[in-house]
Amino acid sequence: MATQAVDARARAGWLRGIGAVHEEGWTAPDVRRRLQLALAGIWLLDAVLQFQAFMFSKGFSQMLGGTAAGNPAVIADPINWSAKLIADHPAATNATFAFIQLAIGLGIAWRPTLKLALGASIAWALGVWWFGEGLGGVLNGAGGPANGAPGAVIIYALLAVLLWPGSRDRAAPFIAGRFTGANVARVLWLVLWGSLVYLALLPATRAPKALGGMVSAMASGQPSWLSSVDNHLGTFLTSHGPALAVVLAIALALVAVSVYLPRPAARAGVVLAIVTAAFIWIAEGLGGMLTGGGTDPNSGPLLALLALAYWPLASAALSATGQPDLVVTPQSESPEGA
Amino acid sequence: MAGPSWIAWTFAGVMIIVSAYCLTRLAASWRQNRPTDHRVDGIHVLMGVAMAGMLVPRLRVFWTGGWEVVFAAGVAWFGWLAIREFRGWPTVGGRPGHHLQHVLTCGAMLYMYLAVATVAKAAAGGSAMGGMAAGGAHFRTLALVLAIALLGYVVWTADRFSSLAPVAALAARSAPVPVLAGAVAGGGVSLADAGGEGAGSTSRDDGQAPARPGRRAPLSPRLAACCEIAMGVTMGYMLILML
Repeated sequence: MATQAVDARARAGWLRGIGAVHEEGWTAPDVRRRLQLALAGIWLLDAVLQFQAFMFSKGFSQMLGGTAAGNPAVIADPINWSAKLIADHPAATNATFAFIQLAIGLGIAWRPTLKLALGASIAWALGVWWFGEGLGGVLNGAGGPANGAPGAVIIYALLAVLLWPGSRDRAAPFIAGRFTGANVARVLWLVLWGSLVYLALLPATRAPKALGGMVSAMASGQPSWLSSVDNHLGTFLTSHGPALAVVLAIALALVAVSVYLPRPAARAGVVLAIVTAAFIWIAEGLGGMLTGGGTDPNSGPLLALLALAYWPLASAALSATGQPDLVVTPQSESPEGA
Repeated sequence: MAGPSWIAWTFAGVMIIVSAYCLTRLAASWRQNRPTDHRVDGIHVLMGVAMAGMLVPRLRVFWTGGWEVVFAAGVAWFGWLAIREFRGWPTVGGRPGHHLQHVLTCGAMLYMYLAVATVAKAAAGGSAMGGMAAGGAHFRTLALVLAIALLGYVVWTADRFSSLAPVAALAARSAPVPVLAGAVAGGGVSLADAGGEGAGSTSRDDGQAPARPGRRAPLSPRLAACCEIAMGVTMGYMLILML
């Protein structure tokens, strides 16, 4: 009871700022809710990036149309159609895109609309993955870990599934496994990071000077500090190209299998995943956000967020009820509450 | 290349509405003796007007140097209150960090005005957001960091939105005058807590009137949160335009 009173007073400290009073039954965000909120924040960032002047220009539709190159006709034709539509109506279409992403971000952040917004984010992300990213360059061989493949936006959809607020949580050694179950979550992790291994070994990344050239190209239009970092990194990668692509592939492979290892090794794998994601994000030039032409922060932060969802929990946190499979989350204590 | 003007007008319109609403909150609080956070409502009135003027130059009502002084003072004032909070001085109370969000918003406003001035000088007459979008601002990384922090604050506020009681519930609770602080049950918070005063404290140093017998229900906390969210999103949009 004393703890409740202290907690309530602490919350009142913030609420006081807007003259508010707490309703009963509200609970502080747990780990999954915090990850959902981080996802909401990234959607909001995407939304405001979508309002940039560049997105209302012909350059945006040309950028989208460019993702059709090298893809099979069945994939490329709809991309070209949508790019033409956007080119014909840049203001209306782009503003619509921005407001949709704004609604998704706010919807995830507001508890009553959480499920609706996560569901919408999955549909939207799949659409953008096709029409906006050309399936992340997976089919045309141009994609690599350092340029956002297999598509940042598909990771949004993956996170929405893994962080889905089920009314009955499964016991899992990490947050990402609570809705789908640990085995399905492990397979999804293996497929994602395994695909990154495959892409790192393709000629687009492994060829001499390919990786370095990819990173150096990101330096254009960046602030001086980031431009300098990308140029130096690009030069270094160019001089050690194929070998470093293999090193990157090995690191990605270790991350991919780490989820099946005992807890200490799994934790090391998650740390390695976050470090690798940071490297990828720098190589991506922070998604081009500082150039005035970035539509999203690209895959680096999403990979790091995903890795956090796989952080192995202490055994005591697996199942408070001791049940082997299902953990019932009481509605009154569920931060999702939806 | 600054994007369609109707988007800037839309955001400016939202800011004018927020500003006008916060002004009515202050008036209603004064006339009807209903609790609200006067400092926050006051700074929102100023910010709404300032942001509308930045988005649409025709809506400017004050010169840039004056706004810089206003928001520099806002940073200093809320910063001082935040320091007092962290030190746990009894006249302020509340959770540490309560005022940091306002330090952040005032700081972002100050940054934008300073950046506008710099870019306008460089562009020899370029104005407001259009000038920034065309020329880019100095310290772009800081603009991105501020935008991310503001959007994080928006998410934080939206997450807590459901915990805010509607005015009808507050009015019902305030009818029997639940004044004494510390009367917390089941995770709820008493009206006295919401009024911001600890048990027995009567200080008005934190900008709020103390809870007392006969006091009416606070002004809508949910609408206040909506203002915070609208302001945070708009400010994030403006900062991103500066990249």
